Amino acid sequence: MASNAQGSPVKALLVDDTAVDALILSTKLRKFHCETTVAKTGKEALDLFHEGKKFDIVLCDKDMPIMNGLEAVEKIRAMGEIDVKIVGLSADYDATEVFMSAGADAFVPKPMKLDVLSAIIQDVINKKNNTMV
Amino acid sequence: MDYSNLRRQAASMKKGLFDQGHLDEQFRQVEDLQDEASPNFVEEVAVLFFKDSGRLISNLEQALEKYPRDFNRWDAYMQQLKGSCSSIGASRMKSECMSFKDNCGKGNVEGCMGCLQKLKREHAILRQKLESYFQLLRQAGPTGAATRPVM
Repeated sequence: MASNAQGSPVKALLVDDTAVDALILSTKLRKFHCETTVAKTGKEALDLFHEGKKFDIVLCDKDMPIMNGLEAVEKIRAMGEIDVKIVGLSADYDATEVFMSAGADAFVPKPMKLDVLSAIIQDVINKKNNTMV
Repeated sequence: MDYSNLRRQAASMKKGLFDQGHLDEQFRQVEDLQDEASPNFVEEVAVLFFKDSGRLISNLEQALEKYPRDFNRWDAYMQQLKGSCSSIGASRMKSECMSFKDNCGKGNVEGCMGCLQKLKREHAILRQKLESYFQLLRQAGPTGAATRPVM
């Protein structure tokens, strides 16, 4: 079960404009009992943060209309959201540098395997548990 | 009706899709996500994929006509389609996407056009084969009911 020490589910924000990718990844997140919100553009993601929504992890695609993932990541960090884990996603295998420069914590090429996601979610849980202690 | 025979046929059909290179390991990852809570998940993903990919191919065809030699724009359209193909494990389609992108990088219009035609063929083939596969699965299911999905 993907929950922190107090038992609340991991709150995940998935930012992807490709419906198939969003469906598959949100289903994978559900397997780990994450509470998942889906945004279709970087702007939608940013709006959620502006509304005061809090997330433990953001999984953000790179190429999206209106606002791409790199710009969204930069702006999320610029809002002071430094604790949320941000993982960049892309079908481009060499997007590590641009995502890290934007402020992401990690980059994973698409499609993300279940065991990779499991490790990422566990890392988020461990970090929250350590914060609670 | 001999449901076990239908299931064998479905399994054989699926094996053929892998052996012929239409699908890769990623499709199995999608299958692994199917459970009692989402008993038709794989088919739902496939329906969504063919709806999306059909639209993307159509948009790309329009872009090829409306924006001649705009390789960056063509590449961007194909990038999205390539991502979807990867997600569902549509291996042959993904290969054609990558060939198209290579041709964009080389500024080769004819190469791009050729790849697009191949991509459309692979799209049609995979769609037909998966439709048949899911139809067979539905017939082989416990209820034996078969309703045609809108792909």
